[in-house]
Amino acid sequence: MSALAGVPPEVASIDDDHVSLSVDESIYSLDAVYGASYIFIDRCFVVVDRPAPGRFKVTLSAKQGEGGQDVLRALIGEFANELLACAWRQRITNENRATIEAVTMQALSGAMGPPSLDELQDFDFSDSSFEDPLGIAASWEDKYKKKAATGATDSAPTEAASTEDSSSPGETR
Amino acid sequence: MRELRLHRSLYTESAVSEALGVFAGYADIERSEDGDHRIVRVTSESPARERRVAGELGNYALGLSVRDRGAAQ
Repeated sequence: MSALAGVPPEVASIDDDHVSLSVDESIYSLDAVYGASYIFIDRCFVVVDRPAPGRFKVTLSAKQGEGGQDVLRALIGEFANELLACAWRQRITNENRATIEAVTMQALSGAMGPPSLDELQDFDFSDSSFEDPLGIAASWEDKYKKKAATGATDSAPTEAASTEDSSSPGETR
Repeated sequence: MRELRLHRSLYTESAVSEALGVFAGYADIERSEDGDHRIVRVTSESPARERRVAGELGNYALGLSVRDRGAAQ
């Protein structure tokens, strides 16, 4: 095993048929490592290991075993670039997750088209919040019935109702 | 003989088992456990074949593990 030129030996090392890269988990998440590895499994053999807590070790081997260290050096360089891109994409996705979900939801609801008359008729509007601190939304009938009901408990309700009914036509005459 | 050391936290049990089933017909494959690792030993008629079978098996198990993690999230 020998170190790659320009790279610390504890970060990357190269051998005759494979090259290894040590990855810090606090910088590159497992999803980023998985994503970059998945992209490379059609080009080379990929083995991911966890030699110590908080560190990944990715080992790449050329499938044909040809090309020597130049091919391996190019492979690990491209892998490191892809790893950085995956980590960056994941960070952007996490930061904009709420926005992405809202835009997607609006796009889906817009694609469904406007609601039909039947859907509007079936829609339940009763859940909508409505504040009426002065009580002006209550109908006159509701207020009047409440007063009649409370008065009915004190005295005979039928007599009071009958006198109102009988007197009102006489007054109009 | 070629040996693969697959870490438990990175390669799921189902992925390794499925990969072993797929590549069992291409070489003699033994499986064992060693601490945090699942050990897979591949023996075949030539070192080149062992290397290829072990490499493809590792890739297959890795791909399935990535798929399993995506499905779990």
